[in-house]
Amino acid sequence: MSEENSKSLNEILNIDADLGGAQRKFPHMPLGEAVDMGFTEDGVPLIDPRIFDSGEFGRNPYPYYRILRDHYPVYYDQLHNSYFVTRYEDITNCYFDEIGFNTIPKGSSSGVLGNTQLELSGIEHRRRRNIYGRHLVGAALTKRLYALEEIADELISEWWLSSNPKEVVTDNERGTVTVELGKAFANEFPISVVAQVLGIPQEARQQFTWWYDAMMSGLGGSETHHEGLEARQDLEEYVEDLVEQKRNNPTYLTDQMGDNICLDIISELCNSEIDGDVMSTEEITSFIALVVGGGGETTRGAIMNLWYLLLQHPDQLEKVREDSELWDTAFHEMLRHSTSIGGQPRHNTYDITLHGVHIPAGSLIHMVDVSANHDDRIFTNPEEFNIFREDLYSGKILRSGHDKEGKCSHMAFGVGPHLCPGAWISHQETVIGSKILDKTLRNVRINSDRMPKDIDGVSLAPIGLGSIRELWLDFDLPK
Amino acid sequence: MQDQEKYDIDEEPASAPGYRTYEVYQRERVGETTNLIKPRELISDQYLQDPYPLVGLLRENYPCYRDWLGNRFWLTRYDDVTSIFADDRNYETRPKTWFYNLGNYGQNLWSEVSVQKAFESSVDNHVEAIAGEILFGWDSGHFDLAMEFCAKIPLQLWGAILNLSEEELSQFIPSYLKMQRGVGWDPLRKRNGLDALKNLETLLNPIFSDRKKEPGTDFISAIAQCRLAERETQVSDLVVTILELDHETFHGGLANLWFNLLKHPNELGKIREDERMLKFAWLETLRCTPPVISAKRFSRTEIERFGRLLPKGALMMCSAAGANRDPRQFSTPEEFIVGRKDLCQREPRGQYRADGLPSGIAFGLGQPSIYPAVPKERPRSLYAIVRDSAVAASSLLLHEKPNIKLVDESNPRLRSLLLNEMHTCWELEVSG
Repeated sequence: MSEENSKSLNEILNIDADLGGAQRKFPHMPLGEAVDMGFTEDGVPLIDPRIFDSGEFGRNPYPYYRILRDHYPVYYDQLHNSYFVTRYEDITNCYFDEIGFNTIPKGSSSGVLGNTQLELSGIEHRRRRNIYGRHLVGAALTKRLYALEEIADELISEWWLSSNPKEVVTDNERGTVTVELGKAFANEFPISVVAQVLGIPQEARQQFTWWYDAMMSGLGGSETHHEGLEARQDLEEYVEDLVEQKRNNPTYLTDQMGDNICLDIISELCNSEIDGDVMSTEEITSFIALVVGGGGETTRGAIMNLWYLLLQHPDQLEKVREDSELWDTAFHEMLRHSTSIGGQPRHNTYDITLHGVHIPAGSLIHMVDVSANHDDRIFTNPEEFNIFREDLYSGKILRSGHDKEGKCSHMAFGVGPHLCPGAWISHQETVIGSKILDKTLRNVRINSDRMPKDIDGVSLAPIGLGSIRELWLDFDLPK
Repeated sequence: MQDQEKYDIDEEPASAPGYRTYEVYQRERVGETTNLIKPRELISDQYLQDPYPLVGLLRENYPCYRDWLGNRFWLTRYDDVTSIFADDRNYETRPKTWFYNLGNYGQNLWSEVSVQKAFESSVDNHVEAIAGEILFGWDSGHFDLAMEFCAKIPLQLWGAILNLSEEELSQFIPSYLKMQRGVGWDPLRKRNGLDALKNLETLLNPIFSDRKKEPGTDFISAIAQCRLAERETQVSDLVVTILELDHETFHGGLANLWFNLLKHPNELGKIREDERMLKFAWLETLRCTPPVISAKRFSRTEIERFGRLLPKGALMMCSAAGANRDPRQFSTPEEFIVGRKDLCQREPRGQYRADGLPSGIAFGLGQPSIYPAVPKERPRSLYAIVRDSAVAASSLLLHEKPNIKLVDESNPRLRSLLLNEMHTCWELEVSG
């Protein structure tokens, strides 16, 4: 080999540049712009899969999803050994094809949550879902809406207690009050509702909230996974006793007049039989964990994101206040714009080829609901928050995902058999809770000084993936 | 959306039959804690530099570790890893062309006896000459054994196997390396790798066409003359065969061999006393410091193994780094011992346990040969060819530089440059 060639060997291998090559720090970009990760010869942007683990992606995901939708509608991420499906129509088709696309047994949440509905398919999924689904929709819930109002009123009344459990800051001189909406309301409200519907006794509610927090933070093999498992174990031990009690003495949810409406969910599960077998405590704990997870964090995020977005669009907030029916519309547009549920994983049962990409059977496919919600094949100007948009279906939540005219709903609750069973109760919690909040939050505005900031140190931190963590509000002291 | 049109709005579609029964998946215990390791540690710099503590932790605590970040299962115990290799019915190997998404581009013709024979004779005929030429260029000063010797010999050998001129070889090497390094997950490298693959096709096409018309006894002629069921062989078959054959075990194994010997003068002393021990040093190198530290297998079907329900298509990361240092198989597994008594002196794939002893596991050599090794007319296995070449080159080095030693204060180490690339020594300053 010539001297010239021997020099080039180091250059070709590019050893120095590759040291430290397993991880990459991506610069934070202006919102809506993607990091330059290179291009193909045809000018198509490349996607470096390390971006999905980056802080940049968490705060600014949409330009990357746009690249995927436009150029790689099925993207194989070799680093994470998974596929991404990002277009609305493709995801919808997959969700409806239960034979071709299966839920994932022993998914990433199963360590903490257990064997949940999310992981079942077909008739097994239906049987179990039907046991508790009726508690979360329809007449049974309608009769319980008053309880939501009671819980919300009770939480807000705590703002004025002398013990100040919600850490409310009152400035009598200026006549203003400052609260962090999560701490003051949104963190606790959905959990209290869920605990009540489940039939958790009042005295255990605080402990229940702790279990919930620990389990949520321990999902997906995260760093706090172990704490999540311990919380689940605690919950299971608690539920074991509760189940024994309720097997013998089932308890009921009551309406405003104190009349029984139906069994609470745990009593229902304790006394249900599937294929001749009663459900085990482990199964019931898993149900509870799922309902808590599904009904807690997501609704908390919905309340936070809804207020954050409306306060950044005061003209729309004004319209909502003028016409209270617009709270429903705003709720749906918020979920389209900034849902806190990223998507659902599926396995394909058979080899398939989609958009020219061959996907071997059994591959992990991420159905990216967040991306579908920003698919401009369905929604015009998808990055814009506009409660008056005409291309979003905002009526009764439909399993089909679209109305008779073909207008599409957002994908935050999914579509098809696995449509979120808690969609309606989450909707009611967010809207009822927000209406009650609105009565107290006079002349409300964001307290920018206390808010987490974006990379420039000035702008407010974007919602990004998930939901906003803190929302500091100033409002006028009630007279 | 045609499926939805079958249903009235908000009416649920009929349920599909359960794909798997609830009972099956209930068997797996939930609530396993894996708090001793974070998935991101398995793609960290720490892993690239020294994977052994991490895979050791997996081996002793989570023998079938579910890595959610990489969507894969890690196997790190010797018996578990080898059971996967021996089980072609349930686990498949995907070719590099699959990772390149190249579909039906080219066919790997390594299984053809004529191709193996041509390869074997080219390697046997040239390896000593190439090693000698490189050593001839070593003046009395310091020498980077890793880059100047171990990395170059396999590349020069490709030149000899393909019968390339110096000019052609200078074009071949960068394209070949880029093609090999493009197999991974990095999109830029993949793009460059695909370009390089096309460049190789262009470079090799005239030679391939010539051999097609006037075949000789060389490697390209052997491929050109293969009989395929449906078509004539093409240059893409040659390129794919080169892609799959690779060079990593030869390059990385040779570098690791000398890294180990120079770091363990007592072991080098054993070889100075009896050169036949070089073969055992090579075997122990592949056990103790395998250059290809893990291999991927995919489950062909949903299967219950290792206390888990593995879904169809599951990626099994079979860790040689973990398995080869499994104390259930090897005493003092961290130690490099030339001629250790608990290591089988056979092909290190793990399936074979001649004399009841385990072998080290070395990947990167493809599937074991489908031909029995016994008949004399059969070519040696790729493993044997590589082993003999490494031993021949090392023997020559020892003859030419009997006083070879590490440069004082040098601190060579092993590392992978990128995830899933070989774990080897990239700088080995020696004097002699």
